[in-house]
Amino acid sequence: MALRTVCAAALRTGTDLGVNNARTIATTAVLSKRARPLGPMPNDDIDTSNLESLETYRSYNRYFRQAEEAKNKRVWWKTYRSYVEKRVDIGLPYWPPSRTKVVKERRQAMSENKRNVELERASRLRTLKIPLARVQETWEKTGGPFDIKKLADHYGVFRDLFPMAYFLPQVTLRISYSQDTDGQVHYGNQLTPTEAVSAPRIAFDAEEGSLWTLLLTSPDEHLLDNEAEYLHWLVGNIPGGAVQAGEELCHYLPPFPARGTGFHRYVYVLFKQEKPISFREDLRASPCHSLVDRTFKTVDFYRKHQDDMTPAGLAFFQSQWDQSLSYFMLPRLLPVYHPPQVKYPHRQPLRYLDRYRDGKEHTYGIY
Amino acid sequence: MALREINRSVRLLMGQIQRCGSGVASKHSARCLSQAAARPEPTPNVNEAVNPTFVNRNPRNLEQMALAVKDRGWKTTWPHQQFYHRLMFSRSQHHVTAEVFSYTSPVPVLTCSTKEWAVKKELASTNCVAACQAVGEVLAHRCQQAGIMRMVYRAIPWTYRSEGVQAFRAAMKQGGVILSEPRRKYVGT
Repeated sequence: MALRTVCAAALRTGTDLGVNNARTIATTAVLSKRARPLGPMPNDDIDTSNLESLETYRSYNRYFRQAEEAKNKRVWWKTYRSYVEKRVDIGLPYWPPSRTKVVKERRQAMSENKRNVELERASRLRTLKIPLARVQETWEKTGGPFDIKKLADHYGVFRDLFPMAYFLPQVTLRISYSQDTDGQVHYGNQLTPTEAVSAPRIAFDAEEGSLWTLLLTSPDEHLLDNEAEYLHWLVGNIPGGAVQAGEELCHYLPPFPARGTGFHRYVYVLFKQEKPISFREDLRASPCHSLVDRTFKTVDFYRKHQDDMTPAGLAFFQSQWDQSLSYFMLPRLLPVYHPPQVKYPHRQPLRYLDRYRDGKEHTYGIY
Repeated sequence: MALREINRSVRLLMGQIQRCGSGVASKHSARCLSQAAARPEPTPNVNEAVNPTFVNRNPRNLEQMALAVKDRGWKTTWPHQQFYHRLMFSRSQHHVTAEVFSYTSPVPVLTCSTKEWAVKKELASTNCVAACQAVGEVLAHRCQQAGIMRMVYRAIPWTYRSEGVQAFRAAMKQGGVILSEPRRKYVGT
C-alpha cells in the first residue's frame, strides 16, 4: 500500500502539484545519465588503498591552515568567485616591514612590560589609564589603513566614488576645522555645517619635493543626478605638506545638505602625484557658485589623471541640515534679486550702490 | 527676527530673479538696467532645480534617522536580531576582543583587541580586568571617530556579572557610547 502511494506520488506531474518545474520520470532519467567527469576530482591524488599509512593532521590548526589555502586555490570548475566581479586595488603598494625583526622587537617590549612593577600594580588595582593618544598613533602606523578601509566599505565610499575599485589609505590625513578635538574629521564622525563653514587645517606626513592633490566631494548631495557628486574643494600640485601653497582649482564651499534628506557624507581624498600635472580642464571660475560647474564624478577625474597620481589618503565625515543653512544658499548660490536701479534711491543706505557693481568689490561695507 | 520677516516678504513679492552674482557678463546687467520695465527673466534659476526623486546614497543615513528596517522575528532564538549595530565582547585564554557588527554583514565594522600591537604594548597582562577596561576605552574612542555611537550589547547571561564584562561596559559608557538603540519609526509608505 505504501509502495503504491509512493509510486503514485512519483508519477504525479507538475500540473497536479500546481508547480511549474516539477521533474517527471522522463526528465529524471536524462539527468541521472552517468558520464565521465570533465576534469580531475579533488582528492584523486590520495592513495586510498592503505588508509593507515596516510599522514594525519594531528592538530586542528594544521588542518585549518591547509583548508584556508585550498579555499583560495584556483580550480577548473566554476565557483562563486568567478561570478563575483573582483575589485581593483588602485592605491599605493603596501610593503609591510620585515616580520622577524618586528616580532623580535615586540617580544622584547612585551617582556619588559611584564617585568614593569608599576604597570602590574596598576593593572591589579584597576587604576591603569591607557594613553589613548599613543594607542591612536601606533594604530595609525600598524593596522589603521585596514580599519579605515573596512569603515569606508561600510559607508559605501568606494562603491560611490570609485566603482569596482578600492585603495588602502596609507597616508594619515589630519583634518581639523577648529582648534579643539570636536572639529576633527576622522572616518564617519558627525559635524554640523556651522562647524565646517570655513576651510579646515590639513596636515599629513609628506617628504620634501613630493606633490599631492586634495579633493573634497559629496556623493549624496547632488540635487538633480543621483549618481553624480558635488565638488566642494580641489587643490592640486600641493608641495610637501602645505595645502596653502597648492593650486586652488575650485575654492572651498561649505557643506549644504538639504533639509529633510538626513546625513550626507563628505569625503576627503588625497592623491599622491608623481610629477606636476596641468589641471587646465579642471580649473573652475574663481568663486564658483554654479552647481552645474560643481557637478563632478571622481571616477572621471581620476581616469583622466590616473597615470600621474594614485589615491593615498582618505577621511570622511557626515553632516545634516542646520539652521545656519536656511539663508546660506540665497545670497550666493541663489542670486539675490534687486529692483532696477533708480537715480535718487529713497531711504536706501549707501551700500545700495554696491548692489549694482556687477560683482566687483563692495566698498561701502555695512554703510 | 524682523529682518528675517522682511527678507521673507521681499522674497515672496519679487517674482523674477536677476542675476547679480559674480561671473556674469556686464552686458547682461546693462541690458537689464536699460529695460527698467518688468520683463520676465527668460532663464530659470538652475541652482534651485531639485530632482523629484532625490536619493541619498549614504548607507548609514536611514539607520541614523531610525527609519531603516530592523530584522524582526527570530523570537525562538537568542539573542534577537533587531539592531542596527551590535557589540560583541569575548575573552579567550590569552586575549580580550571586542567587535562591533552591523546588521548588513558578518564582517565586523570596528574591532579592538589585545592582539593588536597598539593595545598590547601598553598592557602588562592581556587577559585581566584592566585589559578589558583598556579595550573598552579604545573601542569607545574608535566608535566616536567612526560616528557609531549607539549599539546593542547583550552579554552572555552568566558572564554579565563578571568584573571583566562590567569594566568593559563601564568603559564603553564612559567613552560616550550609548548601549541602546532608538526604536524604529514606522512611516506610512
